[in-house]
Amino acid sequence: MGRSKLKILIIAMVAIVMTFFSTNTLAYYQTVGKATNVVTSGNIKFKIHETTDQGTEFPTEGVYITPGDIVSKEVTIESLCEHPFYLRVKLIYGIDSAELTADDCFKLNINSDYWELHDGWYYYTGVVNACETTPKVFSHVEIVGSEVDNSFLGKALTLTVKAEAVQSENNPITDAKTYTALGWPTEVE
Amino acid sequence: MKRVIALLFALLMMAMLTLSATATQGNVVYDDGAKECIFSPGSEYSPTDLFPNFKDVMPGDTLTQQITVKNEASNEVKIKIYMRSLGAHDDSVEFLSKLGLTVQKSENNQMAYMFDAAADETAQLTDWVCLGTLYSGGEVNLDVKLTVPVDLDNNFQSLIGYLDWEFRIEEFPIEKDDPTPPTGDNSNITLWIAVFGISAAIIVVLLLFKRKENN
Repeated sequence: MGRSKLKILIIAMVAIVMTFFSTNTLAYYQTVGKATNVVTSGNIKFKIHETTDQGTEFPTEGVYITPGDIVSKEVTIESLCEHPFYLRVKLIYGIDSAELTADDCFKLNINSDYWELHDGWYYYTGVVNACETTPKVFSHVEIVGSEVDNSFLGKALTLTVKAEAVQSENNPITDAKTYTALGWPTEVE
Repeated sequence: MKRVIALLFALLMMAMLTLSATATQGNVVYDDGAKECIFSPGSEYSPTDLFPNFKDVMPGDTLTQQITVKNEASNEVKIKIYMRSLGAHDDSVEFLSKLGLTVQKSENNQMAYMFDAAADETAQLTDWVCLGTLYSGGEVNLDVKLTVPVDLDNNFQSLIGYLDWEFRIEEFPIEKDDPTPPTGDNSNITLWIAVFGISAAIIVVLLLFKRKENN
């Protein structure tokens, strides 16, 4: 046997031995699987309901009023989400699209059992849970005759109900005052 | 009839309890029949979603998710399991970067941190990390914790964040010095041998009595 053949034989034997040992460490089979994991964030949603004492929707075009009238307008807020929240409501009076500073023209029967006035907002004293509707904020608006003079003739008086909510989960309050909760939006002056 | 109804009701309740117990757990199962990882439970957002507990999260939430990685291959093979994170999808980075995520693996009854960073990052799971060698029926448990900061604002309402993880399985043959793989049968063998012995003895005694009677 030639020297070169011997070399080839030795190399081949080494290769065979290495293959034998390496088969014990190589995996039979490999596979890779990808999991696409998902995190979603929740939200807070609600709807303001404005109805009359007849249970019908308050007309969007408004109603004709004369000084001394008492207009039936029941305002409630319904939760449309899975998470409980704190709620506050602001009542903005207007005349012909401008804000009415002399708000003595309106007299509302605020339901103070459940709504507490603080810094111009009426805070709901409890927590609005999923699918719940709050008690009425007020149920009628009186047009104060002594405050509405001829200058209001033919004008459009408006009452806008603005509501804001913050989550009550992970958001403790102090002395059962919901206005002490964190996260109420800061008002832009 | 009442008993049958009561039994059916009890079975239904047990099935519901079992379903509710498994519904909150993520599972990665290696099945050597399918030769692939099977992920569950999935969700409406992704069929391979392992995070059923991380839905509808709110500011201030701290949520946990257990994920079990299990070898359901036959007894002839053992598997090595590795995992790594590919990070958040591009459109999820802004949302997931606000959230904290930790992943811990149970090791000798102690939990060792494998990952502790913002949820969009790959951090310590950028490269493959070995979860262990599992024999048939063996499993590894991962505890995943998600922390949502309390000051997460309204811009992060109703968002969906996608985060990819990969699992690599290497199948190996069982070797001589490997421990006996658990079969999952934990019944008391001694008890069954005793029952077998007593039964055999009773049969022998009965046969003897019968032969005596025949005579």
